[in-house]
Amino acid sequence: MRLRTKKEGNVVSQLYDEVRDFLHREAFLIDNRRFGEWLDLLGETLVYRMPLRVTREKSAGSDIVEEMTFLEENKRSLITRVHRLNTTSAWAEDPPSRTRHFITNIFVEPVADDEVQVTSYFLMLRSRGSKEEVEQIFGERHDVLKKVDSSWKLTYRTIYPDQSVLGIRNISNFL
Amino acid sequence: MAYKTVDRQTLEEVKTKIQRGMLPQWAFTNHDIYERELEHIYAKTWNFIAHESEIANPGDYVTRWIVNDPILLLRDKDGQMKAYLNSCAHRGMQLCSADFGNKSTFTCPYHGWTFNQKGELIGIVAGNKVYGHEMDKSQWGLRKIPRLESYRGMIFASLNPDAESLEDFLGGMKWYFDIMLGRTTNGMEVRGVPHRWIINTNWKISSDNFGGDPYHTAMTHRSTVELGISPQDPLYASYGHQVVLENGHGINLCTTKDGGTKYPYQGLPKELWGEFEQNLTPEQRAVLYKTVVFVGSCFPNLSFVSPMHGTGGPDEPLTSFVNFRTWRPLAPDKIEVCSWLLVDKDAPESFKEASYKSYIGSFGPAGTLEQDDGEIWTRVVDASKGYMIQHKDVHYDNVLNYIMGLDRVEPDESWPGPGVAYPTCYLDAISRAFYEQWVDMLLASEA
Ligand code: FES
Ligand SMILES: [Fe+2]
Repeated sequence: MRLRTKKEGNVVSQLYDEVRDFLHREAFLIDNRRFGEWLDLLGETLVYRMPLRVTREKSAGSDIVEEMTFLEENKRSLITRVHRLNTTSAWAEDPPSRTRHFITNIFVEPVADDEVQVTSYFLMLRSRGSKEEVEQIFGERHDVLKKVDSSWKLTYRTIYPDQSVLGIRNISNFL
Repeated sequence: MAYKTVDRQTLEEVKTKIQRGMLPQWAFTNHDIYERELEHIYAKTWNFIAHESEIANPGDYVTRWIVNDPILLLRDKDGQMKAYLNSCAHRGMQLCSADFGNKSTFTCPYHGWTFNQKGELIGIVAGNKVYGHEMDKSQWGLRKIPRLESYRGMIFASLNPDAESLEDFLGGMKWYFDIMLGRTTNGMEVRGVPHRWIINTNWKISSDNFGGDPYHTAMTHRSTVELGISPQDPLYASYGHQVVLENGHGINLCTTKDGGTKYPYQGLPKELWGEFEQNLTPEQRAVLYKTVVFVGSCFPNLSFVSPMHGTGGPDEPLTSFVNFRTWRPLAPDKIEVCSWLLVDKDAPESFKEASYKSYIGSFGPAGTLEQDDGEIWTRVVDASKGYMIQHKDVHYDNVLNYIMGLDRVEPDESWPGPGVAYPTCYLDAISRAFYEQWVDMLLASEA
């Protein structure tokens, strides 16, 4: 990577393309249950969190509760989660869900030569068994990607769901 | 008639079946049964709604539900807990739509009536100009929830003014609540806010699962066995005692095979052990010392689990936590789960943090144990809706098996706590008692 400033539009858009491709590839690997390859995209010091959304009056301030989360993971615990999905008895994903992660509204902010902050919107649709009903979960993610040995790694992710009561039986997929 | 109205005779038959260890499968999904449950169980009994630490300060409030009744629970400026119907006395608008907050008054967005913490109507927009003698403000306050009581910080409400006292309702369960919730001097606090999510199942399935079904762990949660977190022994969740309490409550106190433990007091920090001595009887301490998992249910829909768990793998340290949850019925095949993490206020921060991670990693909605429970309960309901299962008169015996230990396992008379304690947790005794309480309450309505 060379200098990245707002003036050098072409460099910024190259960066944007790289980040978008990273996020799309990540979604593809998860949806195709290639979790081992997905883990390769994660930095060793990854922090991966999903706080709670609550309903509050506007005057009360933030509607995120950081003190309680759905997920508070690091790379090691995510590896364990993948191991669990690879056992013969992780029923929440056996038979496996069919999922689609739709990642949109990607906004990239360079913070250093080898580091970007990314916000994106997510919608995960999930189909289980023969049911016509669709389970879904959606919200916003705040990521930090860092370049390690010339490839991007996810080093920080905060997932903010938009529902205060999740309309989904469990979170057995990665977001 | 397959979908006939459930009548007294049907319920009597159901009761006889339950006593023989059988439950008609249609009980999970029958709409008539569901309507009766709302009226004759949920509107009659005590319902857990919050923990006192959620409304610690004057003006703190939370909004909750007793099935479909909206509840506004608050602490007033005198420190008293108050519970009102969260619905304006004017035209019924939901008064407060936030989950929680702090307020001294509540103003309704529809026409602007304002109520204070005592539920009194204290302000009417253009009051003098539009109302005269016909308006007696003292008659139009927020409607009080008839009963509100707490035990060990657990706040219960009842829509039934004639409900027995909460202490009588809990009965022997208090002895066990003391161990989980009253062992340290300053009691428990809720971390953050509860998790809430939807599962397409029936509330009895989840209540029964937590209340009386340690038998499921070896298979439902086998993934943790494969990971090396849980023991290989398929009987591992059977060791200890299953205790049947009055009013449909029950608790399992799981131990290791030989009753010994590497982690006295569930690995709770040594700093707290002195407090156990101050707050618990020697019998309660002995139970806490060796119990690995407390898991059970308070009839109808409050369940709890306090296990030791890890999430990282076999070499990761195990940490205990206290998790209470309600299964709010939304339909015969739909519940909203509300799940609180409780932690001893007096525990060191490092333990509170580890306890939180242990909880979300195992029993939050993304937890490795919770995931498979929710999946399985959904599949039970999926398979309980059909003609063959709903049919009550056809010749096939339309029942599920709850016979484990029936007429075979004798109570352990030496058990130090209240209730009828059986010396194994692989037993359907609590489930049978749960469903007997359930059918008795439905039958009472037929009297
Ligand atoms: S409905 Fe509340 S003021 Fe009219
Ligand atoms: Fe379970």
